Amino acid sequence: MSEVATRSLSFEVKDITLRFGGVVSLRDVSLEMRRGEILAVIGPNGAGKTSLFNSLTGVYQPQEGTITFWPSEGASISVIGKKAHRIARAGVSRTFQASRLFSALTVFENVKIGAEDHNGLGLVGSLVKGPRTRHAEKVSDEVVVDLLEFVGLSNEANLVASQLSYGGRRRLEIARALATKPEVILLDEPAAGTNPSEKLELTSLIRRVRDERHVGVLLIEHDMKLVMSLAERLYVLNFGSVIAEGSPEEIRANQSVIDAYLGSSHEDASN
Amino acid sequence: MSLISPANLRRLFWIWVILAIVAVMTGTSGNNSTPPTTGVHGSFMERVSFFGLFATWRWLLFVALGVIIWLISSAYRPRARQIHHGVDAFMALPRRLTAKRSTRLILMALALILALVVPKFIHESFWMYLIVEQIGVWVLLALGLNVVVGFAGLLDLGFAAFYAIGAYVTAWFTGALPMPALFHHPIPTLWVIPLGIVAAMIFGVVLGTPTLRLRGDYLAIVTLGFALIIDDFVETQSGVTGGGLGTSPVPHPVLNLGFFHFRWGLSPTPYYYLCLVFIIIFLAIFTSLEHSHVGRAWVAIREDEVAAESVGINPLKYKVMAFAVGAASGGFGGVLTGGLVGIINPGLFTYQVSVNVLVLVIFGGMGSIWGVALGTIVIQTVTSYLDNYQPWGYQINDLYMYIGALLIVMMIFRPAGLLPSRRRAREFAAAEGGEEIHTDEVLTGEQP
Repeated sequence: MSEVATRSLSFEVKDITLRFGGVVSLRDVSLEMRRGEILAVIGPNGAGKTSLFNSLTGVYQPQEGTITFWPSEGASISVIGKKAHRIARAGVSRTFQASRLFSALTVFENVKIGAEDHNGLGLVGSLVKGPRTRHAEKVSDEVVVDLLEFVGLSNEANLVASQLSYGGRRRLEIARALATKPEVILLDEPAAGTNPSEKLELTSLIRRVRDERHVGVLLIEHDMKLVMSLAERLYVLNFGSVIAEGSPEEIRANQSVIDAYLGSSHEDASN
Repeated sequence: MSLISPANLRRLFWIWVILAIVAVMTGTSGNNSTPPTTGVHGSFMERVSFFGLFATWRWLLFVALGVIIWLISSAYRPRARQIHHGVDAFMALPRRLTAKRSTRLILMALALILALVVPKFIHESFWMYLIVEQIGVWVLLALGLNVVVGFAGLLDLGFAAFYAIGAYVTAWFTGALPMPALFHHPIPTLWVIPLGIVAAMIFGVVLGTPTLRLRGDYLAIVTLGFALIIDDFVETQSGVTGGGLGTSPVPHPVLNLGFFHFRWGLSPTPYYYLCLVFIIIFLAIFTSLEHSHVGRAWVAIREDEVAAESVGINPLKYKVMAFAVGAASGGFGGVLTGGLVGIINPGLFTYQVSVNVLVLVIFGGMGSIWGVALGTIVIQTVTSYLDNYQPWGYQINDLYMYIGALLIVMMIFRPAGLLPSRRRAREFAAAEGGEEIHTDEVLTGEQP
C-alpha cells in the first residue's frame, strides 16, 4: 500500500458531475489512480460505475469537474471535451460490460484492428502496398500473435469471434484493448457471466496484465471475491457519489458500505 | 404419407395462391380508360386456346397446372430433406469454389476473357450501347455505393448525386454547359476523367464532413435531401446546367499520345473497353482497400462504432473516406455517361436512380465486390431484355413491382445477397441465430 502511495498519478478525477437532463448520474465524484496499480470501483446496480468509465474514456462528457490523465510522467492531458478515439490513442483502453467484439471478424482480426496505427497510413498507404505499409502490417501482426499468446487464444486465432466461449470472448476483449498499447486499461465487469474456472483464469490474467505488461488496471466488478483478491485499493460508489475509499480490509469493515449493499440493494450482497 | 392430409392440402392451397399471382402477372393489363380491375378480371376470364385443341378460361388452366405441380411435388415429398441439402449445397457453391486462391484466379481470368470477347458476339450497336449504358455504368455505380453501404455500413439514399456531379463536371470542362467553361479551351473529354472523379470525391468530403456525424436513419435522410437538391438544381438552373432540356452535346473523348491517336465516336464498342478498363481498376482498388487497415476499420465502425472508437479509430475520418472513395467510382460513371450519351439531362439522375443502385447492392450482396458486380450484370441484363422485348405481357411500368418482389424473396431466403461477403454473412447469421455457426461454414468445412 505505502509503496503504491508514493507512485505518481495516472488518473485524477476532480469533482465531476454528470447529468442526463434532470437525472444526476455522477455527483462530485473524485478519484485518484496511481501508475500501475489495480484499482477497483464497486457499488450497487445503478450507482454510476459504468457512467464513470464512460466519462473517463470520453464517451460521456461530465458537465462539471476535471479529469486529468498522465500518459507518461510529466505529460498530462485533460479528458473532458476530447473524443473517445483520441483518449484511446492517448493510452486509455477499455472493455465493455456486455462484450462488444467485432463478431463477424476473426479473433486475429479483432486484435489486429486494435494493433493497427490508425493515424499514420492513409488511404494511399493502404492502396500502394509499399515497404512502409508492409512493415506496418508485419509489426501489427507480431503484436497480435504476442497478445493472443498472452491471453491464451493462439489456437483460436482463426475462429470467428462469435464462436468463442464467453470466457474466451472476455479474454479477447482484453487482448484487443491491450493491442492499442495503453497505459491504463479499464475493465467493465470482466467476469460477468463466466463460470468459476473461467473466473480463476481471468483473475490471473488481470494480475498478469499489470505485472507483465505494466498496465494499470481500473476494474468494475460485482464478484466481491474477485475484487478483494485483485484490487489494491477500492472506491465505493452509491447513488452517483463516492461513499468510501481504501484497501480491501478497510472497505470490508466500512459501515456505510455495508449499509449501501444491505440497505438499498440486498441482492448484490450475496455476491 | 397420405395425399389428402391437411398439411398436403395446405400446400395445394399455397401453390394455387402463387399461380394466381403468376396468372395476374402474365395476364392482360388494365389501362386508364377501363376500371383498374379489368386486368385482373381479364387475367382469369380470358379464353385461351390450348394448342388449338380446345379453348378454355385462363383460370382453369392455372388450376389444372396447380394440381399437376402439387402431384409432382407430393411424389418428391419423402425426399424433401435430400432436396433441401442439395439446395443448400448449391447455394454454398460460389463460396466453396472461391475458397481456394487458384480457382479464384482462374474464375477471374475466365471472367476477363469473357468480358473481352463480348463485343465479338454482339453485332447490333443498339445492344452494345445498352451493355455500356445499362450494365457497365451501373456496375461502376453499384461498386461505388457498395463501399459506402456494404463496407462502411452507411445508408446512402442519394448516390445519384455523385453520378450527376461526374456528368455535369464533364459537361462543364468540355464546354457543353451554358455556363462558360473554366478554361478558355475546353478540355477533351478523356482528360476530364480525373477531374470528374476528383470533383465527385470533393463533394463526398464536403457532404460527408458535416453529415456523417449523424447515425443511421438521420444520415439516410440527409443523403436523400442532398440528392434531391442536386436533382432540383440541375433541373431548374437552366442558365448553369441547361435545365430540363439538358446540356449541349458533350464531345466524344479523344486519346492523343502523339504516336497513338484514337477518337471515341458513335460506336459504343470503344466505350465498352474504356468502361471495362475502369471497372477493373476500381475492382482492384476496392478489393485492395477491403483487405487493408482501412477496410478493417470500416468493418469495425459498421459493427460497433463505440467499440471501434475504444481502439482509437476515428469514425468520422473513415466514414468520410468511404464517401469519397465510393463517390470516385460514381463520378467516373458520370464522366463516361457524358461522353457516351452526349446530351446530359436531369432525367438521368433522379431519385429512382439512387434507389436502383441500392437495390443492386443489396441484391448482389452488401460488402461483396464480386457479388455486387455479378448481381448488377444479372439484374440489368434481365431488365434491359424485358424493357426492349416486353415478353409475356410485361410492361415497363411493372418493373418495380417485380424488383420489389425480388427483394422481398431475397431478404427471406438469402438476406446476405447473391454472393454474400464472408463477413456480412456472418453478421446476418449472428443477428438471426445468436451464437450459432453459419451453415455455409459447416458445409464447406472452411476455416475463415
